[in-house]
Amino acid sequence: MKKNKGFFGTIGGWFKRLFHGGSKVLADEMEENAKNMKVEEIVSPFKQIVRGFFERRLAVIALCVVIAMFLLVFIGPLFMPKYYDSYTEVTQQNVHPTMSMLSVPREMENDVRMIDSFGSFTVGVNNEGQVFIWGDSKISTTGLDVRDIPEEVLNAKIMYVAAGIDHVVAISEEGKVYCWGYNKLGQFGYFDPENKDNANILPEPDILLNGTIDVDHVKKVTCGYQCSAILMDDGTLYLWGNKNTYQNIDLFAGKDDLIDIDFTLNYVVGVTEAGNGVYTGKRGLYDQFRSNLNVKAVPARQYLDGRKIVAISATSNTVCGELDDGSLFFTGDFGTRAKPMPALNEGERVIQIVSGTYHYTALTDQGRVLSWGGDTLDQTQVPKDMTGVTRIYGGAFQSYAVNDNNEVVGKWGLKGYLFGTDNRGADIFQRIIQGGKMTMTIGAIAVIISTIIGIIVGCISGYFGGKVDLILMRVTEIFAAIPFLPFALILSAILAQSDISEDNKIFILMVILGVLTWTGLARMVRGQVLQARENEYVTAAKAMGVKEGAIAFKHILPNIVSIIFVTLTLDFATCMLTESSLSYLGFGVTYPRPTWGNMLNGANNATIITNFWWEWLFTSLFLAITCICINIVGDTLRDVMDPKSDRDK
Amino acid sequence: MVVVLIILSVLMFLIYNLVPSNRAYTDAKADMVNMKQQLRGKSDAEKEQVFQERYLYYQRLYGTDTKNLAVRYLRWVGLYPNYFGKYNGLLEGNFGYSYELKDDVVNIVGEPMKNTIFINIFNVILALGITIPLGIFCAVRKGSKFDQATQVVTIIGYSLPTFITCILFIWIFCSLLHWFPPSGMGTPGNNFTGWKWFWDRMYYMCLPLITMTFCSMGGMTRYVRASMIDALSMDCIRTARAKGVKEKTVIYSHAWRNALIPIVTLVVGWFLGIFGGSLIFENMFGINGMGKLMIQSLRTADTDVIILLQLFYVALSLLSNLIIDIVYGLVDPRVRVNA
Repeated sequence: MKKNKGFFGTIGGWFKRLFHGGSKVLADEMEENAKNMKVEEIVSPFKQIVRGFFERRLAVIALCVVIAMFLLVFIGPLFMPKYYDSYTEVTQQNVHPTMSMLSVPREMENDVRMIDSFGSFTVGVNNEGQVFIWGDSKISTTGLDVRDIPEEVLNAKIMYVAAGIDHVVAISEEGKVYCWGYNKLGQFGYFDPENKDNANILPEPDILLNGTIDVDHVKKVTCGYQCSAILMDDGTLYLWGNKNTYQNIDLFAGKDDLIDIDFTLNYVVGVTEAGNGVYTGKRGLYDQFRSNLNVKAVPARQYLDGRKIVAISATSNTVCGELDDGSLFFTGDFGTRAKPMPALNEGERVIQIVSGTYHYTALTDQGRVLSWGGDTLDQTQVPKDMTGVTRIYGGAFQSYAVNDNNEVVGKWGLKGYLFGTDNRGADIFQRIIQGGKMTMTIGAIAVIISTIIGIIVGCISGYFGGKVDLILMRVTEIFAAIPFLPFALILSAILAQSDISEDNKIFILMVILGVLTWTGLARMVRGQVLQARENEYVTAAKAMGVKEGAIAFKHILPNIVSIIFVTLTLDFATCMLTESSLSYLGFGVTYPRPTWGNMLNGANNATIITNFWWEWLFTSLFLAITCICINIVGDTLRDVMDPKSDRDK
Repeated sequence: MVVVLIILSVLMFLIYNLVPSNRAYTDAKADMVNMKQQLRGKSDAEKEQVFQERYLYYQRLYGTDTKNLAVRYLRWVGLYPNYFGKYNGLLEGNFGYSYELKDDVVNIVGEPMKNTIFINIFNVILALGITIPLGIFCAVRKGSKFDQATQVVTIIGYSLPTFITCILFIWIFCSLLHWFPPSGMGTPGNNFTGWKWFWDRMYYMCLPLITMTFCSMGGMTRYVRASMIDALSMDCIRTARAKGVKEKTVIYSHAWRNALIPIVTLVVGWFLGIFGGSLIFENMFGINGMGKLMIQSLRTADTDVIILLQLFYVALSLLSNLIIDIVYGLVDPRVRVNA
């Protein structure tokens, strides 16, 4: 008779009994009889619960949502191989939810003259001189939208455009320079009495403000973070902007021997007519050249060996240059994640190169388009089926390939952010999914710990009664008397000061949550056991000489599994919420590791709540919906299991 | 009860000891800085000696001159004399000193406590005034459209984390409607007195109050509804109805009294919660209350304040347990509280 079942066998046995009531054989027999005799159908408790549960539409929806959330946060991260916790991107901070960063307007899709971007929006101009802007064009808290193109620009025929982080520069056919966007930091400027003598601002040259330039001799128009530069054929340089963002900007002002200029994130870089190095005005910057990203760098002079630099283009911290023999060189810090440049075919030459924030895109004389460098946002995923590419444009995280008829034949890179980005420039959608994984793991493990403690204490206390009960209940009382949130706060504050690794801290956090929440369950289990103890089957088991412990855990426990299950569900939501509250207050899991709680950390004042609504709304929604659905499922389960509530109906 | 409090205070003390802070050391260091004049020209060894003396003095003063935790604990509570033979612990009214705010903890706690009580009294009154009638109504009209809607709203109310509710309400009432100021306790720089002060305060407290009420409504309404449903399904109600008692009387006199028993316990717990304050609300709305003080001192590792607040919370929750037991006995004559 006696079978030696393993642990899983035992658990399985419980559920089987849940299915079929106390005895499977008996239930089967009765069912058989019921069929034969055509009397009232007998439903086992579990079937009844399931049936009752599925009759409630709301509960079923909630269950589906919960399951979907689980799948999303546990499977979702597998599809984000490029995600890492501490990702920050200065040019993509507080971007609105948008997916339009690659959507070139239809009016210029077949008539591209020029495309440029630096931050979250892209500006383009077609051959009719019309300017278009796409992407996230609203500038954070200022209420400005660069898409509100000034009337005079709309009326003029624009030849060149360039985009900065929050402003746009355009040059019309007549040589008039237009700027719009945010200008409080000297991005462009009128001779405002406030800004004129501002030491932090290099004002826009007078000739650009009031006069015109010869548009046929414009060599390059480019914008940096909050600076702009126009370089003419004869070496004349118009440079203006916020000095705080570019420390070496003063060294460039008034220079007239440059043949190329570009902006990294912190420095202006240029090439002088001598072409013997990247000019920054500072020593030790960009003076180690290499032929590819993964090759060891050598000093510039040694690398050049008499060759001259003819053009450069810069990402946010690296520079790529063209030499007079047609080869390329790289300088700067590429980091380990950057993809090296693909090998060129025999005799192939790069004829055009554009740079984004982290990537380079190049066009070769064989019509091939290559992209390399940083690939975190898919900037270098060049489409395979492009033909007839004659020009390429790009910037930020996007690249566009254009053919001879000025048609866009390929565009790749960052499409946008479904839920926007946070104040560090990280994709909120990705962080929600990664954070959900953390939040749910913490909730689940905490609840498992608390359930195990609760069941053990409750069972022992309820079954043995007497002194054991008394002592255990006093212990429970102590734990129940501990005010939850303050206590958890103190413990995590102490944890934060000690130098344990982040993983251990999180594990201890789970344990704290678990250890502080078991009391309710223990009391309930005790109550249930007290009731169940009086049942006949326990008396029978006792009479048969079954050991006390076995009776408590093998005979009584299976009968109260259902109620434990309900508590487990509800506690899971509670633990998740507590973790979120802790992290929200800054005492749980801390940045860079995301959880739904600490992602909302920033949303604690009205300015952020109003202006950056996407930074808290989506995370809150995920957290709220998950919790509400778990609670609905738990509540419904309880209702369905409670035989009394059925009668009330 | 008392045993539990003692055990908890031991626990607290142990945790308190985990915090890396050494008051005697800091004070001795501060003394060294003050004595710079006198110490000028002395050698390092002599300085070190003076420092050690001061350090030992402060250790003795604060009762930390021994490694024996039991002694230290008793000294902290005030049941064991320190080196100078003086009893100076919690029982003697020495609650510690806040290094952040440079004042005795007792003085610091006063103002936040006032604010917390001020706002919580209104909250409890408001919440009870809404939830009890709502709960009764839902129980009586069980299964109606209104009841179902309320069920959904309340489940949302109690499942939403409080900070999300706060964010939502700030967004709705401050950003979209511009009805209330988002945070603070009064118009900055005012010197209002009397009624004007009161109205200004109330204006600033409006949003926190609304939010707090909303948050507490969910659980309470469901609780009232459940206990009312239980009460309505009792035999005595059926009897009363059979007798032909008016429906109103049945509900408000017969059923309500029975439903009151579980509700009372909850309400008592709430009233004690008045003193505790809420960590999240007060932080969110910038109310200078107990919860905010707690977070502040946690951030600055102001251990004496933390430990006192923690003990305060513990005592509060134990006290509420006790009062609940007693009230339970009072409301339900069948329950006897044995000493």
